[in-house]
Amino acid sequence: MHRQSLQKFYGWFTALGLLVGVLVGVGYYRDEYRPWKDYQRRFIREEIRRAATPEQRLLAQSTALQVRQILLPELNRVDRCTTCHLAVEDPSYGGYPQPLAYHPLHDEHPFDKFGCTICHRGQGRATTVEDAHGKVPHWDDPMLPLKFIQASCGQCHEASDNPAAPQLARGEQLFETVGCRGCHKLGGVGGIVGPELDKVGARRSPDWLKQHFLEPAAVTPGSGMPPQKFSETDADAIVLFMLSQTGAELPVFYASMKVIPSAAQGRRLFQQKGCIGCHSLGGQGGKVGPALDDVASRRKPEWIVQHFRDPQTVSPGTVMPRFGFTEAEARALTDFLLHQRDQKVALDLPSLMTPIDRGRDVFRKYGCAGCHGPEGKGGVPNPNAKTAQQVPALTYVADGYTKAELRKLVTNGQREIAALDPQRPVPPLYMPPWGSTIKDAEMDDLVAYLFSLKPKGEDLGF
Amino acid sequence: MNPSTPTENEVTRRGFFQLTMGWIAGSFAAAATAVATVRFLVPNVVFEPAQRFKAGAPGDYPDGSVTFLEDERVFLVRRGNTFRCLSAVCTHLGCTVNRSEKGYHCPCHGSTFNADGNVESGPAPRALTWFLVTLSKDNRLLVDKGESVASDKYLIL
Amino acid sequence: MKTPSPLGLWAWFAGTRVGRSIFRVGPPRSNLERSQAMVSSFLLHVQPAKVSRHSLRASYSLGLGLISLYLFFILTGTGVLLMFYYVPSTTQAYDRMKDLQFVVSAGLVVRNMHRWAAHLMVAFVMLHMCRVFYTGAYKQPREFNWLLGVGLFLTTLGLSFTGYLLPWDQLAFWAITVGSNIAGYAPVVGPGIKYLLLGGNTVGQEALTRFYALHVIVLPAVAGLMVAVHLFRVRKDGGLSRPDEPAEDAQSIPLGQLPTNKSYGLMELARGTTPQVGRDPDDEVFAWPHLIFRELLLFLLVVAFVLFLAVFWNAPLEELANPIHPPNPAKAPWYFLGLQELVSYSAFWGGVVVPALLVTALALLPYLDRRREGVGRWFARERRVANTVFSICLVIAIALTIVGTMFRGPNWGWVVPWRTPPAMTQEH
Repeated sequence: MHRQSLQKFYGWFTALGLLVGVLVGVGYYRDEYRPWKDYQRRFIREEIRRAATPEQRLLAQSTALQVRQILLPELNRVDRCTTCHLAVEDPSYGGYPQPLAYHPLHDEHPFDKFGCTICHRGQGRATTVEDAHGKVPHWDDPMLPLKFIQASCGQCHEASDNPAAPQLARGEQLFETVGCRGCHKLGGVGGIVGPELDKVGARRSPDWLKQHFLEPAAVTPGSGMPPQKFSETDADAIVLFMLSQTGAELPVFYASMKVIPSAAQGRRLFQQKGCIGCHSLGGQGGKVGPALDDVASRRKPEWIVQHFRDPQTVSPGTVMPRFGFTEAEARALTDFLLHQRDQKVALDLPSLMTPIDRGRDVFRKYGCAGCHGPEGKGGVPNPNAKTAQQVPALTYVADGYTKAELRKLVTNGQREIAALDPQRPVPPLYMPPWGSTIKDAEMDDLVAYLFSLKPKGEDLGF
Repeated sequence: MNPSTPTENEVTRRGFFQLTMGWIAGSFAAAATAVATVRFLVPNVVFEPAQRFKAGAPGDYPDGSVTFLEDERVFLVRRGNTFRCLSAVCTHLGCTVNRSEKGYHCPCHGSTFNADGNVESGPAPRALTWFLVTLSKDNRLLVDKGESVASDKYLIL
Repeated sequence: MKTPSPLGLWAWFAGTRVGRSIFRVGPPRSNLERSQAMVSSFLLHVQPAKVSRHSLRASYSLGLGLISLYLFFILTGTGVLLMFYYVPSTTQAYDRMKDLQFVVSAGLVVRNMHRWAAHLMVAFVMLHMCRVFYTGAYKQPREFNWLLGVGLFLTTLGLSFTGYLLPWDQLAFWAITVGSNIAGYAPVVGPGIKYLLLGGNTVGQEALTRFYALHVIVLPAVAGLMVAVHLFRVRKDGGLSRPDEPAEDAQSIPLGQLPTNKSYGLMELARGTTPQVGRDPDDEVFAWPHLIFRELLLFLLVVAFVLFLAVFWNAPLEELANPIHPPNPAKAPWYFLGLQELVSYSAFWGGVVVPALLVTALALLPYLDRRREGVGRWFARERRVANTVFSICLVIAIALTIVGTMFRGPNWGWVVPWRTPPAMTQEH
């Protein structure tokens, strides 16, 4: 009487026991089968095929199937790309199809210190093709298309000073000349009409950025940003520059590479540090220290570098202070002094320029051209603005304002833009207050420049 | 009670077969789970410095130098065009040895070693280990801490 | 037994000196041994030697309590395994999830089992509660066990909620942010509880550390203890509820006057109803093997189901937690979405009044509803009013949860679940 009632369950017991067994088996198999093992087997076969001696052959045969990884504790990354890309360091695999291709050009960026994803992006910890290359849901950082790879240089290196990344330098140049800063802040400088761009490279995809430049409203409905007319190469260059702005804070080892010593960097330092206060170039500047025009012929480079490190060690008793330059800065300044003659752009010394010239620089620096057009000639659309649905040109500001009024307008901005049709959305572009950014002297120069825009010989007379 | 139904101590042949099959399958599942659990616990990757590592270019080390590499706990020894790599882990109880005038010295229990890593005094049972140094395909010194060699084996460039 | 089988092996081993010291009895052959098998084993003695046939009927209990218990076992096992790899740090937790997926053998399956079993446990604890209500099983003498059950329900929610944060992805971060803010709506104590729970004002490293400690030791210990008492009380209160149970007052024996002529070995005697009292002996069967074998089958079924889910469906893991970019909408775990839906109408009602009323009503239920009719039967006619009230509450809760889960999209606006809302496809 006891067992009989249970016998009907025995079949269930068999079935459930088998089901659990099968499920454990299936789970185990699915877990053990990993596609990277196939890639490693392929690599081992290739190594065996290429083995010249029995020892090499034995070595290849005994290669274990295992996840390979590059530990980058300082970057808080683990890159397992080499689990499949097994020959990246072996030049004899040059020209092989992926995943077994050799990766050239890593003398300056050894794999064990840089890994892969810091430049290529993607998901370093992943060990499947789709996940690792990062084009999967819930991974924000897919691999960077190779044509934008120079964007990664910009994470550690100054965009403008890197001879190996001309597209990046072009992108930065465009950024600074078309007037992006008029509306957007980057590195704390710029307008407040559009969003800050400090981390834009980590947030946006290349396609999104490109679309956004050419047709902003298509990706951000209601965007007031004027469509930009870039050539194909320029569009790619500025997209690339934007991609380089990831806002990533890199640890000391990597950040110390920020400056590639170069003449351009040296020139900027020369201006910033006010060397011209004591030394002269081309007859301009102070007389406290010697003129520096022919310093390259008088001194050896080693002497100059050492002079920047600590002036007393090479010219005892000199009045030149020890500025505490970093090694890279000392080298950059030296580079500049040695090559000052062949600089393509002559040294611009603010103190030697006219207020109007300086004002033009201010106009460029803060991106005013982004809305008011190059040289303030206007033409940038601002839908529904009373001023012909455009941001007003500045050519005739001298007629409409006094210098004090203009100054006040730039300082306080103008949030409310008169609408052409009150029924339609308010005009998206407006004048941000620049008072906290553009300071006294710069403001004077800017106003002087704006007043100079009026074509000569025209006087409408008020 | 239906007389055709088995009595208390009787299990039908089918019932017995089903029961046995169930136990076998269940035991297999349990054993496989146990194996999988052990596999789960065995680490497939480790997050410590690699056994094989690149120690930079040969030119980074001046002639006659003995350089301590902190992360890897080894000394890189260059004499002329020869390179060797000595473990800095004391063979006694695993402390890190320091450089001394004549060779190496362990601060924990006072073992001393000569420049070749052989024990001079103290409790250390064996000489310090020398590791295989080779040149990688991109011309870097490649040290393999999994591969110990005799103290007179050099990488000669 | 002549053929070697697990039972045969066990019989042989139990016959040896060592085996006897461990098991006391081997595979039982007589009724006496069947009883001994139950009462002499630590693991089995929480159950009676004989059980009513009514209790064995799957159509009565549906095995919901046992299923919850087995899920708890699975969660404990997989949870301990996960602890071997998990690091409760905001910089490492997410990476560890990725490592489980990409380099740890069976890591993903273990994580999947833990996740799915956790969701299932919340669901089955709720279903178990419904069963106990609809069969009137919370009534005297089982009032306190119902109360323990309510405690276990809340502990289960707490376990699931604290575990939700640990992967440190967007899903975790925002669900806990939203969930802890719902708690913050409680008057007077709300903000304090939130501050205490998060170890600060926002979800960050402190919150992760606290949730981890709660999830892996505090709440499991509480739950384990309560489960033990809950099971113990099931037995002490006379096994599962039955329609033919005599009322307690007919049976009560004053304390200190327990009859002395009964053996504790076979039929433990406690105050109140016991398995032995007032029933036809033919209506009972020995727990070994009738109960034990059914329990084994149910365990296999639960394991099979959880494995099935875990092998073929992966637990969600979204982007790394990012406090700057909340998903739209940010949703609490599904079992709180009914509350979140209510909160969207009124923070006070959804966050305070309704949950407080619900928990109070559930806790007081057995002390308010003291009628003895209709115990041990599903949807008893005598309990029409109670069942109707409970069903209405249940339907509302389910409806709110479904609405919150499936019909709410960006800005908590209405969406049709089978159509992707435009904002979700847009890159953020």
